[in-house]
Amino acid sequence: MTSHENDPITQEIIQNSLQAAADEMFAAMRKTAMSSIIYEVLDMGTGILDHRGEIACSGAGIPAFVGVLDKSVKVVVAKFDPADIRPGDVYATNDPYYGGVTHLNDIIVMMPVFAEGTLIAWTANIAHNSDVGGMAPGSLTGEATEIFQEGLRLPAIRIIREGVTIDPVFEIIKVNSRMPDVLEGDVWAAIASVRIGARRLTELALKYGVATFQRAMAGFMDFGEKVSRKAMAGLPKGTFELTEEQDDGTFYNVRITITDDEFVVDLRDNPDQSKGPVNTSRDGVMVSCQMLFKSLTDPYSPANEGSFRPIRLLTREGSVFHAKEPAPIGFYYEIELRVYDIMWRCLAPHLPAKLASGHFASVCGTFIGGIHPDTGRQYTIIEPQIGGWGARAGADGNSAMFCGFHGETYNCPAEVNEARNGVFVDQMVLNTGPGGEGEFTGGRGIIMDYRVRAATGFLTAGYTRSKFPAWAMEGGNEGSPNLVEFIPKTGAPVRYSFVSGLQTHEGDVIRVMTGNGGGYGHPKDRDPARIEMDIKNGILTPERAREVYGWAG
Amino acid sequence: MMAKTLRIATDVGGTFTDLVAFSTDDQGRQTIRTAKSDTTPPNFERGVLNVMDKVGIDAAEVGFLAHGTTVVINALTERKGVKVGLITTKGFRDTLEIARGNRPDFFNLFYEKPKPFVPRYLRRELPERMTYLGVVHTALDLSDLAAIVADFKAEGVEAVAISFLHSYANSTHEEAAHAELKRLWPEVASVAAHQIAREWREYERTNTAVLSAYVQPTAERYLRRLDAGLKGRGLKQSPFIMQSNCGVDSLEAVARTPITMVESGPASGFWGAAELGKLIGKPNVLALDIGGTTAKCALIENGAVKIMTDYWIERDRKSAGYPIMVPVVDLVEIGNGGGSIAWVDDFAKLHVGPQSAGAVPGPAAYGRGGVQATTTDANLWLGRINRDYFCGGDVEADMGAVETALTGVAVRLGAGTDEAARGIIRIANNNMVNALKLVSLNRGFDPRDFTLVAFGGGGGMHAVALAQDLGIGHVVVPFGASVFSAWGMMMSDLRRDYFVTRLSGLVAGAAAGIEAAFAATECGAMAQFAAEGISEVNFQRYGKFRYQNQEHTVEVPLTMGVISDADLVAISDEFHATYEREYTYRLKAPVEMVGLHVIATAAVGKLTMTEEALGDSDATSAVKGQRPVDYALEGTHEATIYDGDKLNPGMVLFGPAVIEDPGTTIVIHPGNRVHMDGYRNLHIATAGE
Repeated sequence: MTSHENDPITQEIIQNSLQAAADEMFAAMRKTAMSSIIYEVLDMGTGILDHRGEIACSGAGIPAFVGVLDKSVKVVVAKFDPADIRPGDVYATNDPYYGGVTHLNDIIVMMPVFAEGTLIAWTANIAHNSDVGGMAPGSLTGEATEIFQEGLRLPAIRIIREGVTIDPVFEIIKVNSRMPDVLEGDVWAAIASVRIGARRLTELALKYGVATFQRAMAGFMDFGEKVSRKAMAGLPKGTFELTEEQDDGTFYNVRITITDDEFVVDLRDNPDQSKGPVNTSRDGVMVSCQMLFKSLTDPYSPANEGSFRPIRLLTREGSVFHAKEPAPIGFYYEIELRVYDIMWRCLAPHLPAKLASGHFASVCGTFIGGIHPDTGRQYTIIEPQIGGWGARAGADGNSAMFCGFHGETYNCPAEVNEARNGVFVDQMVLNTGPGGEGEFTGGRGIIMDYRVRAATGFLTAGYTRSKFPAWAMEGGNEGSPNLVEFIPKTGAPVRYSFVSGLQTHEGDVIRVMTGNGGGYGHPKDRDPARIEMDIKNGILTPERAREVYGWAG
Repeated sequence: MMAKTLRIATDVGGTFTDLVAFSTDDQGRQTIRTAKSDTTPPNFERGVLNVMDKVGIDAAEVGFLAHGTTVVINALTERKGVKVGLITTKGFRDTLEIARGNRPDFFNLFYEKPKPFVPRYLRRELPERMTYLGVVHTALDLSDLAAIVADFKAEGVEAVAISFLHSYANSTHEEAAHAELKRLWPEVASVAAHQIAREWREYERTNTAVLSAYVQPTAERYLRRLDAGLKGRGLKQSPFIMQSNCGVDSLEAVARTPITMVESGPASGFWGAAELGKLIGKPNVLALDIGGTTAKCALIENGAVKIMTDYWIERDRKSAGYPIMVPVVDLVEIGNGGGSIAWVDDFAKLHVGPQSAGAVPGPAAYGRGGVQATTTDANLWLGRINRDYFCGGDVEADMGAVETALTGVAVRLGAGTDEAARGIIRIANNNMVNALKLVSLNRGFDPRDFTLVAFGGGGGMHAVALAQDLGIGHVVVPFGASVFSAWGMMMSDLRRDYFVTRLSGLVAGAAAGIEAAFAATECGAMAQFAAEGISEVNFQRYGKFRYQNQEHTVEVPLTMGVISDADLVAISDEFHATYEREYTYRLKAPVEMVGLHVIATAAVGKLTMTEEALGDSDATSAVKGQRPVDYALEGTHEATIYDGDKLNPGMVLFGPAVIEDPGTTIVIHPGNRVHMDGYRNLHIATAGE
């Protein structure tokens, strides 16, 4: 088969196999994980990187994790002497100041891959762990003022040496967690995932030859770049700016300059880093840019280092988008999401063929814990929520989907939730409240009630777009806000967007209310047949139809 | 002397209705007849009767008739079912529309979520509530049901699905609501979710009930007419209907929950591969079925096909699809068949499939106006398919059109025509290799430990190349490979799979409860069989286990009979070992059982194969010529061409060679040794490991 070493078909076969390996790593993690945030929500990602740590391809899952793994591997590559990185080693980081990008819950596990004595690649995996210690259960709290309060920090360290587990490291990791068995199980699931990927890559390289393998990997990234550059021809050129007020009263600014060969995102003119955990690393903001850029260029080709070469990001160290150690970063994802959303909003009027009106645009991370009344074991619900997506010309928005940062993410069935967590889910219905009306309407958010059965427990939540809901286009109405409502068994209900460690008792109801997406076009232009179907379906009352749409029925 | 028997399998596809008849004479000699006629919608039974007439089969002489049909999957994908009303638990009418909130096409911001099969105004609620432990939390209140029925009637609803929360744990509320519905509206088609699925996850279970209701009137009418039509011709025993779980079931049972037929087509082929593996003493099989538009594969371990309830239709990288929680053979399907179209993207990268040229216009070689090159065209161009014996000689290959189509690909690739054709074969093969890896390596199995059994019209064309890529040493192309699915149907037992969610720790004292759950399931199954007059039932037990806190499970066979506490350690050990093989590690964490899986089978007169004596090894008498064949990776070789119909048991031949019969072409690579066994299967020893 030597004559085929350099032909394009062989290259392509290797590239297809890289993708298959990344998908296989993903499946292994999903099937072995112990946290529902991993196996159900799929708050995880897998990737294959070259020997330098540049991402070549990634497994399905959360798009927001595609751009994380390269940053982690590069820190390991820079930190360790090449001679000290050996076959069978496994490394880990979770610290955004050491290549971790996100927050301490996300442990990134990395394995160098060797063939014929050469380091040919890395396999890596990121997943959200249920509890890594810190001041609050689940490790996330709005009260944190330093990263030290958010859990155990793993500053890009080795955890397995040539196949031998470094036991003290595992002991330290376990003893720091409120859920040590689950954490251990999830870390081992991640190790299984990187090992399976590494085995496949070694087989590939031995089969086709190391040089051919490496050429295929490099070629895959060059291909990514070609796809992006070609698609950039279809983007509007110029400088686009947007300022948007946030729920907390601060203003975020974005300036995007698109030229023939560059996509420049300037975020320098933004507030100083926050005292609370609503900051992100610069790497985190880069992920936001990469995601939107990928959606605007080519959603279907592989997302790899090459795809993102045209992006240039400008940030100011010490700002909310480029936090300095030891700023807390627990809720980084809401901040990344705000950047993603204002970039989307900034470009939407210029790219109606790719961008719809705004969506509920919050992870709506909800953390509920206590002692399971039937098993006596600690349970912790860690859930993002589903909500309404924006309308576009010709189509109403989707109802009840995860936000733009999530992808192949699944909500937790009520039946599984009740068994596993010892709560009652009293209802899970579409949010039929006002918001998102237009010629085309925004999709519906949801209303979900958790009735607490545990004697005592806690609620932590961090939602954005609670004050300023999903934005609309072309005369449509804004969507509706994201909120969590606490309805105590006795006493008056209270609504929150951010709440940390609220005490709960048996019989209390935690109501998740996510927003409708933004409308598109003026409500008066909506097709009466669509209005009448909405009425028939009970998501619009005749009175409101007359009032908002001018319906004559 | 043996009794003469006649068994037939009929398979109604979208275009053609196929028939395979196996007759055994009083000397035990078996003959096979096949026929094909047009499918005749909407009166599908006509096509079945037509095809029987075509080969002159007298229904009165048929001892066993197995029937497979795509009527359910077609009704679903073509949206030709009926208007369904759904009745569900208060607070959950939107479950069907909320689905799971996932978005596989995640960089596409214009993703469109699949629309529910029941619009919101036909999704109605009743007050009731079970807990996950199956305890009544809120009593069922049926007082609104009459009004719901009146609304459904006014809206023209033709079928009703009932699905309540936690009905897998306690079905009494569903049963009561179903009984009352039947009393109020006896003529409507109806189904309660627990009749089909006894596992948790309310969206999946509800959607399953809805889709079953959606196809129920159509499928029931179909089955009744088929039965009446055949009985009218003198058939003594109702047809047995092929199921997605590799078994057949009685027509009566299928008519109640027709959704279980959804993947019956591929299932029969895989069952055939499992039976063939047992017959030839190779119970570990990788089964590969290559048809016109897709290739499907499944892994058979020690004669057992894996059955799961994690099945979805219309699910791919661009759509979340719809779940159907019924027992379906665990298979991987890819858009790679003989008619798959080769195309070159804007970056000069070659792809094959998933788009297919279908039957019309078909591959360019058909000369029916197809201008895009397909896998079949590349196989023709490279001499792998005989251009003078295309489709068994029924079609004259339009080689001019093939050249034009391949040149189109070559120009875009910046390569020669031969190179383009070789590229198409290599990419198609690689897609199939990756699919085979998904069912083997991906699940902890080494493909080198398996025999590759390849069937379907295109199986023999690619099997050796795939085996050599994967290091598989032994390939079997079964006799009648192009109608192998029908053979599989005839080898099926009556089979029912019961999956039940039941949580339990594997701790001392737990065995009694686990045993009771199995016994209850088996007892229910026995009652169902007994009501149909079947008393000989064989049960196999499997448990689904996981480490505490995990979600996904590993299925472990439980062969000890009545389960006692003394068995729990062995069960746990077996789980640890199975788990480690698949995932590289084991934990000291507690193990828990999540559910059970019981397979109930009853023999209903399946075929017994007889083996012919092996004759002379010399295969010269079957040689029909020589021609150059391009093997893509191994270059061009002068290959000996054999007439498959003239090969006899015991004959041996060597590659490079091509074996041709009217239904299929088998490409034998240089260095391969082939022999025909006493059942007329071809065994190929590859040049690889």
